[in-house]
Amino acid sequence: MEIFLAILAGTLYGLIIGIVPSAGATTGLVALFGFIGWFTAFDPYLGVIFVMAVVASSTTGDSFSGVLLGIPGANSAAATMVDGFPLALQGRATEALTAAIVCSTFNGLLWGTLTFALLPWYSNLIMIFGIPELWAFVMLALATVGFVSSKFWVRSIIAIVIGCFIGLIGMDPYTAADRYTFGWDYLADSVQIMPFVAGLFAVPEIVKGLMGSKTVATVKVSQKGQTWQGVKAVWEHKWDGLRGGFIGAFIGFLPGLGGAMSDWMAYGATTAANPNEKIPFGKGNIKGVIGPEGSNNAQKATSMIPTVLFGIPGASFAAIVMALFMYLDFELGTPDLVYDDRFFDSLFIGFMGATIAVCVICLVFTRWIAMITYIPYWVFGPLLLVFVTWACVQYTGGWEDYAIFILCSILGLSAKYFKFSRPAMLIGFILADRIESLSLQMFILYDIPKLLDRPIFLGLCVAVIGMFIYGVFFNKTRLNYS
Amino acid sequence: MFKKLLATVVITATMATSALADVVLVVPQKPGSGTTVWTEIVAKELEPFLGEKITIKLIPGARDIPGFNKWHNELRFKDDHFMVSHGGNGVSFLQENVDYDYSQYESIGLMNLNIIAAIRADADKNKPSFSSGSGMVPEAFAMTLLICGPNKSVDEYVACFKENVTWVAGMKGSERRLAFKRGELAGTRENPAAFKKHAQPVIDAGDAELWFHHGILDAANARHNDDPNYPGYQLEILFEEKWGVAPSGDFYDAYVLVKSFRDGLQKAIWANKGNPNSAKLQDALRRMSQDAGAMANIAKKVGNYEWLIGADGDQQRDTLMTFVTEDALKNLVKFNTEALKLNSVYKEDLVK
Repeated sequence: MEIFLAILAGTLYGLIIGIVPSAGATTGLVALFGFIGWFTAFDPYLGVIFVMAVVASSTTGDSFSGVLLGIPGANSAAATMVDGFPLALQGRATEALTAAIVCSTFNGLLWGTLTFALLPWYSNLIMIFGIPELWAFVMLALATVGFVSSKFWVRSIIAIVIGCFIGLIGMDPYTAADRYTFGWDYLADSVQIMPFVAGLFAVPEIVKGLMGSKTVATVKVSQKGQTWQGVKAVWEHKWDGLRGGFIGAFIGFLPGLGGAMSDWMAYGATTAANPNEKIPFGKGNIKGVIGPEGSNNAQKATSMIPTVLFGIPGASFAAIVMALFMYLDFELGTPDLVYDDRFFDSLFIGFMGATIAVCVICLVFTRWIAMITYIPYWVFGPLLLVFVTWACVQYTGGWEDYAIFILCSILGLSAKYFKFSRPAMLIGFILADRIESLSLQMFILYDIPKLLDRPIFLGLCVAVIGMFIYGVFFNKTRLNYS
Repeated sequence: MFKKLLATVVITATMATSALADVVLVVPQKPGSGTTVWTEIVAKELEPFLGEKITIKLIPGARDIPGFNKWHNELRFKDDHFMVSHGGNGVSFLQENVDYDYSQYESIGLMNLNIIAAIRADADKNKPSFSSGSGMVPEAFAMTLLICGPNKSVDEYVACFKENVTWVAGMKGSERRLAFKRGELAGTRENPAAFKKHAQPVIDAGDAELWFHHGILDAANARHNDDPNYPGYQLEILFEEKWGVAPSGDFYDAYVLVKSFRDGLQKAIWANKGNPNSAKLQDALRRMSQDAGAMANIAKKVGNYEWLIGADGDQQRDTLMTFVTEDALKNLVKFNTEALKLNSVYKEDLVK
């Protein structure tokens, strides 16, 4: 009974956090520090179940705001939004959400089983992927988003550069000196992800909503029957979902690369595998929802591999999970824990239980939640703005949080107006410090002969070059998403 | 309407953090960071002995300096606000323009610990690669001493470091650990708890070995003693074994200075001098440190380290201050800027 309640409570909490625009798993997990101690007095294993339920359900929940409002629930849901939001505009929100949820759930169950059942086996595999391979993966992610997120690929490259520049604001990793802060001490700790995502995506959509159409959906279509259509779409395009799941699982398995990258690589792979579509990608193609949604839950599951085995967080949310588990007396990465069967059972039950629970809850209520797209924007637009503002000022609570949020909002509005790819800007921002640090590390520790001796690295480099050539010269199906 | 809503959000966010607290521990980090987790664990054990509610107020910022500065400039004058700092703050105090100043506080309690380094078994100890960063400065000094030997000028040590050590930039703690496990990085260092978790398994597998440690500061005698958990591996002992003489000189003094401020203040709770609530908190901490159950809980999560409470903590701080000499500070800054390329400034006021 307690296990069921822990799963249910974690699922509902995670779902709500996931739905809040610009929030996502990391934010939701941070907020748990206030009361996670309760589980230590009661049963810490229930705490593990609860935390894993939050992880699983927030990942599924963050599709809602991306599809319904054009605002990613978390930065990893930005890829889903590219085709999901146009579907909502066409009155097909329930179909898009159902496809997202079903695909996400299926891949979550598949990769959750493979992850938690075979956990100790993966330790040797992680050792194969060193600094050069991680560097090449990051480059591949940039190439993917650069050439699929906008038909204006030059502007995409510029957007990536702008995102990278903003992502590099803060501390120079080499000298530990402040960099690009323009004398503003607040920036010495970098631009925080929350105001950047909210400013880039949420504010432009809210402003558009308040100034433009009266509702999100421009066409009023009955939501009845769309649940079944969504399920059917996942079955029809199952290979896109499975491919996305595989990509997500693989990226999650590599420490430190994170969700946004895997979703975009999954999206890029989907567009590349479907070159001749009647409905172009970016205009409401359901495959554009299924591909990236296959990736996100799979990525969350496999991120736990390096986190649990080595105590090395597989993604930013996993770092918070580690700290929460430490609070519950479970120190990840220690040999003792590997023999704690109950701990592994709790990880498994929490993640899988919540994946199923959130699917059931969402499928039952999606039809009604999707009705939000028919509500006049002025009703929930201001509320949304308050939510987003609240999320953005949790860093210091000072005026600087508001100032940076406003600046990011101006950037987001400008990017939308001038058709610079905002997803490309976001991925540049997220990966900037990885690009810099991995480049530094690779060039310091490896010389050319050593690099030429690494087949996986070479294969990835060929893929990056191939993506560039394809994107510039051959890709006729580029998106028009800014 | 919007202005009102915005104002409500601001007021709620500001008040919620500390409104209900009897004691507020200010931490200069984000949620989930090392010192934040440490504070949460200690506060939970301390609360029953204190008999009051402890709230943790996080003020994150670059290199964990803004939060400490804010406490120093404003919050320390509130009798219920106490500061939790870490070893990185100690190093920043020596070489960065920070507002905070340990001499103006009294110690509630602090944890004195050691840092241990490991090296890959197949690596050349005279040509190691190591993760860079301001937190690694004592290790850079230690390996330079071991590699380059005695009787050299600071300039010669700088040149020797540049020639022999590959200083790898941009690695977070987790990346460093994985790179070490993979064999991409020759050396790594950890506190005792993390060493057991991350380095010891690699050593046990035969892929690495213990390299050196910095020793444990004995405040009463102003010297570092060998760590009984890793006997014979203190830098001073290894140096003498290898080079036939004990380490000494300007460069060594700078090493002692920086390692003492990092490891001797690894986790510390401070009050403003004259705070009427200090004695109450010190007493609670003392009783907690004598409670086997509470200490076992803390040790299980963050490691078993020596606690120096109240006057003992002040003595530790005073001992550290005796290491701050003009030459030691100048040589620290010189090595930092010229060998490690760190943004480091000489603080004349500190010597005065």
